[in-house]
Amino acid sequence: MNDMPVKEAVELLKKGRAYAQRTKYREALAYYTKALSIDPNNPEGWVLRASVLIDTGKIAEALADCDRALALNPQHAEAWSKKSLALYNLEKYQEALAASTRAVALNGNDAAAWYIKGVCLDELGKSEEAQEAFGKSLELEIILDMEAEKRKMARK
Amino acid sequence: MKTEMPLSKPIRRLIRHTEETLGTEISLLRNPESEPGGSLIDVYTYDIDKNVIIFPAQYIGLLKDFIIAKHCTHLLIKGAAAKKSKYLVCSYDAESVFRGMRQIYYDALKDEAKKENKLPVKKLIQMLFILYNHFHEDVNDLPWNPITNASVYYRMPQIRKTQLYHIMKESKGDMDEMMEQENIVPRRYFVLNKAMFYARDMFLANTLPADELKPVINIPQMKKFNHLEVKEMLTTRWTHTAWYQSKVFGDSMLEIVDGHLHVIQWTEKPTLDYYHDLYKVGVNLTNHLLSYMTMKDWFIWESPAHLLEAHQKKSEYEKAALKRIFGDLIADTIEDE
Repeated sequence: MNDMPVKEAVELLKKGRAYAQRTKYREALAYYTKALSIDPNNPEGWVLRASVLIDTGKIAEALADCDRALALNPQHAEAWSKKSLALYNLEKYQEALAASTRAVALNGNDAAAWYIKGVCLDELGKSEEAQEAFGKSLELEIILDMEAEKRKMARK
Repeated sequence: MKTEMPLSKPIRRLIRHTEETLGTEISLLRNPESEPGGSLIDVYTYDIDKNVIIFPAQYIGLLKDFIIAKHCTHLLIKGAAAKKSKYLVCSYDAESVFRGMRQIYYDALKDEAKKENKLPVKKLIQMLFILYNHFHEDVNDLPWNPITNASVYYRMPQIRKTQLYHIMKESKGDMDEMMEQENIVPRRYFVLNKAMFYARDMFLANTLPADELKPVINIPQMKKFNHLEVKEMLTTRWTHTAWYQSKVFGDSMLEIVDGHLHVIQWTEKPTLDYYHDLYKVGVNLTNHLLSYMTMKDWFIWESPAHLLEAHQKKSEYEKAALKRIFGDLIADTIEDE
């Protein structure tokens, strides 16, 4: 089997991502779905679609997409991160905590996963641990924000 | 409120409290084009069904939470005013625009008389309404900033670090404002603009212990006044600089801000009456600052609908004011354009 993502599908994912960034979810979803019909073996496509599904409130479908991505690549940090977000939305805090913990173990710079971890810990009554996770998330968010600011200044 | 975004517990509680207290609905919107401080589109200002808090799409964690907290607090103040009395904002009409622009023109003339490189007349004319509008935006925003920030600080200790980062960032942006126009804008307005932000930052630095916020540390041009003796200040050339004057006026404005805000019990039970009191404090503070800056007749307290209509008519007001200030000569120039 060829592990390389199909070029046409990758292009469709790019287009979908551009729409998703502008919160045009319907169009994004259409591109992602088309990309997945061409290349269902690219975990990236499932994760991207899961993200849009969460944003549009289709949580169960998003969770299914995360699981498809993780079946293809169990080390996919972003898939764990989105899975934790989907589980949080289903109020499955214990499972969401496990998924976010896995996400930050695979990618320690995922501010969103640290934040979800903090929220879940807080929900489970572990507020001290929650503060630690929130602290890590904030630190990363500030770094990203400062970098974005620098880019903005450079453009000016 | 229904959202798929993760939100920390204190923020969810605050949103619920806001919705229940005001009997209204809040929705959250991520927007890649949003201002760093986010924005609030509310039912008390606009003809809409529910309130929307917009924040930058890249804010996913506590940075987003702080923006929500700040705007929820402001929404509570607006809503309490609307429910308990009347929610009014600083608006303007043809008459008040004329008064403001005329004053700016007189001050500009005084400055221009002393300048070697005079400002081209066309630029000077254009500046009048731009500056007027600038102060209008500032007075509608600035007095509420220390109130919402102090409230969030006392009520949500969990997000204090985030708040500090936000305030530092906001302060830096405000301090950079007008810098490029320092030699164009009449000295008085440059000084007052800087003084307002100086006073706000000093108040916040005293309320939310943050030394980095102090303008004499932040603004390179003001650093020299940090440890200067009063006598030294009064007897040296520093007294003639805009920055020295900003500090002097800023210190007076800080007294005004302190005088109005020290009466607030920030941790009092957050009822509708409490938020209505915050609104009244904000209105009084605005009036006091306007008086201090001798801008009292520049603006009028009116409904948000009045302000929205004024925005629609602003170029009409500007032209009418220019005709009254300059007479027929300028009238011909405006018609030509």
